[in-house]
Amino acid sequence: MIEISYGILVFMLTAFLVLEGWDFGAGLIQFLVGRNEADRGVVISAIGPLWIWHEVWLVAFGGMVFVAFPAVLASAFAGFYLALFLLLWCLILRGVAIEARGHLHDALWREAWDFVFASSSLLIAVLIGVALGNVIRGVPLDAGGNFTLPFFTNFGVRGAIGILDWYSVSIGIFVLVLFAAHGASYLTWKTEGVVHDRSARLARCLWPIVLLLLLGTTVETASVRPDLFTGMIHRPLAWLALVGVTGGGLAALIGQWRRSELPAFAGSCALITSLMIAGAVGVFPVMLHSTLVEANTMTAYSDATDAHGLRLMLLWWPIALVLAVGYFIFIYRYYRGKVRVSADSQGY
Amino acid sequence: MNDPAFWDRLQFAFTITYHYLFPQLTMGLAPMLVYWKWRALRTGDETCARAARFWAKIFGLTFAVGVVTGIPMEFQFGTNWASFSRYSGNLIGQTLAMEGMFAFFMESALVGALVWGEKRLGPRGHFAAAVGVALGSWLSGYFILVTNAFMQHPTGYAVAADGRLHLASMADYLGNPWAFALFAHNQMAALVTGGFVVASVGAWYALRGEHPGQSRLFLRTGIAVGLAASVLVAFPTGDTQAKMVASHQGAALAAMEGRFHSGIDAEINLIGQPDVREQRLDNPIRIPGLLSFLAFGNVQRDVRGLDAFPKEEWPTNIELLYYAFHIMAGLGTVFVLLMAAGAVQLWRGRLEQSRVLLWLILSAFPFPFIANTAGWTTAELGRQPWLVYGLFRTEQGVSEVVNSGTIVFTLIGFTGLYFVVGLLYFSLFSRELRRGPVEDYHD
Repeated sequence: MIEISYGILVFMLTAFLVLEGWDFGAGLIQFLVGRNEADRGVVISAIGPLWIWHEVWLVAFGGMVFVAFPAVLASAFAGFYLALFLLLWCLILRGVAIEARGHLHDALWREAWDFVFASSSLLIAVLIGVALGNVIRGVPLDAGGNFTLPFFTNFGVRGAIGILDWYSVSIGIFVLVLFAAHGASYLTWKTEGVVHDRSARLARCLWPIVLLLLLGTTVETASVRPDLFTGMIHRPLAWLALVGVTGGGLAALIGQWRRSELPAFAGSCALITSLMIAGAVGVFPVMLHSTLVEANTMTAYSDATDAHGLRLMLLWWPIALVLAVGYFIFIYRYYRGKVRVSADSQGY
Repeated sequence: MNDPAFWDRLQFAFTITYHYLFPQLTMGLAPMLVYWKWRALRTGDETCARAARFWAKIFGLTFAVGVVTGIPMEFQFGTNWASFSRYSGNLIGQTLAMEGMFAFFMESALVGALVWGEKRLGPRGHFAAAVGVALGSWLSGYFILVTNAFMQHPTGYAVAADGRLHLASMADYLGNPWAFALFAHNQMAALVTGGFVVASVGAWYALRGEHPGQSRLFLRTGIAVGLAASVLVAFPTGDTQAKMVASHQGAALAAMEGRFHSGIDAEINLIGQPDVREQRLDNPIRIPGLLSFLAFGNVQRDVRGLDAFPKEEWPTNIELLYYAFHIMAGLGTVFVLLMAAGAVQLWRGRLEQSRVLLWLILSAFPFPFIANTAGWTTAELGRQPWLVYGLFRTEQGVSEVVNSGTIVFTLIGFTGLYFVVGLLYFSLFSRELRRGPVEDYHD
């Protein structure tokens, strides 16, 4: 039961990163692929009607952590207080920018909000990467399940650590480039005309960099958290995920060169999904690793809530998922096809 | 200054109060949108279709601000109230997760279709989208109110060996009688806001002599909804809610009424200022026996004053609680009178000539927001000093590792950010108003 709950959380976080990942990616490359207001409008239209639905995955993920592992949520959220508020404010600004932009037909107004949108998307991507880096590296959890971290100290990963160190920063950069490539693949598939061409060119440049960075961060992870890889050796699901990482990465890379837009984008989605699965399987059951003493580490077994509550959650969750998949099918059928600005701007 | 619990409370109070300005409007507008869409579907009435199109745009704008200001609420459970989350996450996490899974997915998938999809979905599909959005927004309200009802009047829980709360019965948790009373009262209050805002916009166009057909429809629908909801919000829903407070939160009731001393034949104080140090109410105007009757259905019944409760169980801010309750109740009375006057003039067919009344209706729009805020202030201050009533005190719930200065910093950040968001909302809202309900299809 605890394993299933853990699996649900991984599924929901992955869904958020894949879906909202391309929105963040499209946002952070908005000025690269859209040199004027109309072109940037195409980018907004491509993600416009869907981004709120994608962001709900984050909210729902938070809710599910709350039910299943409230102690983990409490420790992590209080410990990362300021960093989380920074993320929150970026999410607010980004949402406001998308909404505000569409209401006024004024080039300067739209340029200003595009800048807010692009820069908050960029910062969010880095922050998500830094957050993942922190979870993998571990935090100084004490026996009461509490910790605090300064923003940075000496950038080392041992001893008196900070939120930013060489490892979390490099994961942040990796996620930034990964989302940019993911977003570029999405825009290549979803748009046409000059935005499509620029996105395709950008995607072809970015994917080799993503794969190089992936190799680099893998080596780094092996030195920061070696047990992640020893965990993977005994778990066949992780091998499958590694196949997915390889396959997805190659599909994303080669697909761009062979101009097969949908397979390339699917490869990009598969890469992110497989990376998440591989990591989650590798660290299971550890949820928050303590850098102080192993005994303080919070695991899915030690910090799950009461079994009765978990069981009830597992009863209603599948119903909600079926409904959510229903909406998924509805909105993707509804917004299918390439974005056309004149007829299809959707007001965004 | 150096009391994290104070700043945690202030930040939560500020962000939730601000956030709730938007959902009360969307929840209030949603049923009217459904009604207009239904009329348009059944009779092909273009006036209703156009009204729905116009208000759907306002709905979309309000919904977006509601979404972005809502995310901080969920975050704060973990960031600022970590001990509370550990203590009761097994219960309140259920409804917060259900809200995301059942309500938000539905709402967010359909709201785009409601605002921009009329042509593509066709009349039936678009009506269905309106129904789905309305259902999603009310469902979301229900889950949040169950969570709040648990904090007001815990049901369905068990205390585990480690002292934390566990879910004992989902039926008792979701079927909390307090939640039903709260939901009924709160949704009526949201409809008051919706009705007043629609009527107010109608009055604005009527006074300017613009969009006559639309302005008449707005006034008619707004006043009908506003009058019905203003009555229902007081009776039976407000009455039921007050009776629940009377039987389960005696200290809160005493503080709401500024009642320091117990006794029979308890009075209602229409006005007056509580003096907590001297334990008396200054300058009161009272109606004897009415409180006994309203709370327990018997004018002779003894109603406990604050002296019947130990001081450590008194609400922590009696003055504000007293004023908030009286502002809510006073405004509620004015709402019924104003909407009744509007309805009479509407029925006589003379509303559009009554400029004074139109002016009153126009300038009434902020007051339902104030009344809703005052009502929630009453509920939440009345719950003090408890976070979960009778079980867990507010100061036990905070995050141990977060210090005051950090919270002050983020509170200031929210103040600035929300100021900008408010300015934007206001200017975009008034832009839509100036443009008016003029559009046919939105492509």
